[in-house]
Amino acid sequence: MNRREIDHCLLCNAPLTIRMDWKRLFVNRFPQAICQECEGKFERYRHEGNEEVDSLYYYNEAMQDYLHRYKFMRDVLLAKVFAGEIHRHLKNRKELIVPIPMHPEKWKERTFSHVDELLRQARIPFVHVLEKTTTEAQAGKSREERMKTPQLFVLREDAQVEGKDLLLVDDIYTTGTTIRHATQVLMEGGAKSVKAFTLIRAKGGQEAIKASPLMF
Amino acid sequence: MKYILRRNRESKRYKGIIAEPEIRDFFLGKIWSREHAPFSKEKLDCYISRSFFKIKPAISIKPSSPSLFGKRYFCNRCHNDNQREFVEFDCARCGKACVYCRHCINMGRMSCCTELLVWNGPSGIFPKRHVFDWNGSFTVLQQQAAEELRESIGRKRNHLLHAVCGAGKTEILFPAVFHCLRKGWRICIATPRTDVVLELFPRFQKAFPNTIMHAYYGDAPEQKGLAQLVIATTHQLYRFEKAFDVVIVDEADAFPYTYDRSLQKAVWKARKEGAPVAFVTATPTSELLTKVKKERWGCSFIPRRYHGHPLPVPRFEPLWFYDRQIDKGKLPKKLMHWTKRRLGREEPFFIFFPAIPLMEKAIPLFQEIHPDICGVHAKDSERKEKVMKLRNGEIPGLLTTTILERGVTIKNVQVAVVGAESKIFTSGALIQISGRAGRHADFPNGDIVFFHHGISVEMDAARNEILRLNKEGFRT
Repeated sequence: MNRREIDHCLLCNAPLTIRMDWKRLFVNRFPQAICQECEGKFERYRHEGNEEVDSLYYYNEAMQDYLHRYKFMRDVLLAKVFAGEIHRHLKNRKELIVPIPMHPEKWKERTFSHVDELLRQARIPFVHVLEKTTTEAQAGKSREERMKTPQLFVLREDAQVEGKDLLLVDDIYTTGTTIRHATQVLMEGGAKSVKAFTLIRAKGGQEAIKASPLMF
Repeated sequence: MKYILRRNRESKRYKGIIAEPEIRDFFLGKIWSREHAPFSKEKLDCYISRSFFKIKPAISIKPSSPSLFGKRYFCNRCHNDNQREFVEFDCARCGKACVYCRHCINMGRMSCCTELLVWNGPSGIFPKRHVFDWNGSFTVLQQQAAEELRESIGRKRNHLLHAVCGAGKTEILFPAVFHCLRKGWRICIATPRTDVVLELFPRFQKAFPNTIMHAYYGDAPEQKGLAQLVIATTHQLYRFEKAFDVVIVDEADAFPYTYDRSLQKAVWKARKEGAPVAFVTATPTSELLTKVKKERWGCSFIPRRYHGHPLPVPRFEPLWFYDRQIDKGKLPKKLMHWTKRRLGREEPFFIFFPAIPLMEKAIPLFQEIHPDICGVHAKDSERKEKVMKLRNGEIPGLLTTTILERGVTIKNVQVAVVGAESKIFTSGALIQISGRAGRHADFPNGDIVFFHHGISVEMDAARNEILRLNKEGFRT
């Protein structure tokens, strides 16, 4: 799949009709991966004033399906779906990109790191400076439980964050616990500023996102 | 529980185990991934070390014949070899470049580092005593077809049973299935549609009350015991390998079976070597018919319904710009009259729509006429319950997509198709839809209307085929 063009929508398998033009011919770095119809089902995030956390899409039914297939069914290829969008959004950022890490055990279980893969497909260089300490997932917990969780991350020993501007990247922002914990660790490590970017943003009131069990 | 035999024989200790029945019952005939198996890891390791299982990698890599193109991948579960559906990625578990199959990913991902287990232990013995509790009677044609089918299976020859909708196909299977059960064979009845599985399962359960049978479909509950009779969707056959002495494919022309090559392969891989496969359908594809001729399969043809009445013939009604009218929130007049008439006569009805969005727009319009009318589609979780409600007369009618085009029997049902000229309604689909009406002996006639925005070739073909079958069936 990597060398070949994508000619069917990765989500609904409908044949893609791609109009060829000069730009496509020469700089087709992020080929279209889903059909217009599937694209229309995702809801773009509207910026609500000056916020520390930036996002691209809202969490809706289509996004739930996507995340389920990507993260829980482990369809790695779906990282390509938003590659172009993420690239456009992050290519001019001056900060150092820091993805939220996975616990090594969890990483082995899932066989890939979903955040890293999103960035890799979007061709955004990144550096790991954090380490996750627990294997439990935030998904499936209530708001109260999330608020009470002890620190999730530690700084890597070889990490150099002093005086740097950092941009945290995660797949979804729900209550902000993950981002808050990571920010705290980085600030304590001497970072100048920490901002965050997530692909998906849960709408207000949308709380516990259910961890879907593996369906087979 | 583990049964350990210990014996001291000249200082050589023999250590073996006897397979637990549960683990054998679960794995017999199946090809199942190690990580998804419902048994503990230690237990499986113990069995594997004693070679009760053969282990296969889920994706095998073959060098392609002209080695210019690199490797060719092959999924051992769904037998997919379309290279476009394999995805290479860096795997954290096996620590190298790994490949997974996108074709059967909905059943859990299979990658190079996933292992598939195939039972290698003692096989089960199936009982030969069965109770056959059915006291219906056959028409001459049915009797003949049932005997032909049984004979074909006895001679290990493939068979095609071509019978019109409502010819009593399920009943025709009974004697053949009973024959196989009594020989102690394992049988599978496969069909592309979950609805058909749900419809067939209780009927077979009633006819063979003492036989252990399982139904497999998308979210089927876990079932215990060693099933001699398996009723499954064709997708579920991905999980079987060399399991059955006979495979019967019901509704062999339904989507996605005809469309998806790997489902067809799944049927052939699920049977034991040389075991016969029988296809049952009302609208065989030309491909199937040529195969029957070429490979000299057995073939039975029933052009008449079991009650001996001719098939109801659809009539065409123009319904110009129905989609625009529904978009505007207006129900086309003709459709409204038709619905009101059915309600007035208290006849249950199906109204077929070509697409889900159109149907969803139409639901509130119909609910203005009668609040209990509701709609079903493929993603509806209450599909089973709604059809049940219609059968019990709790709701007057259902709006549906092609999902209910087959396998559903409701007494005295009347049928309308909105937008019959749409691409999705092929002649096969329209024949199936028409076949919903007039299935009961007390109500052999039913109204079938194709509301259209211009008559399509497929509509004509469907009507001509029905007329031909009627002619064939009543030729004396």
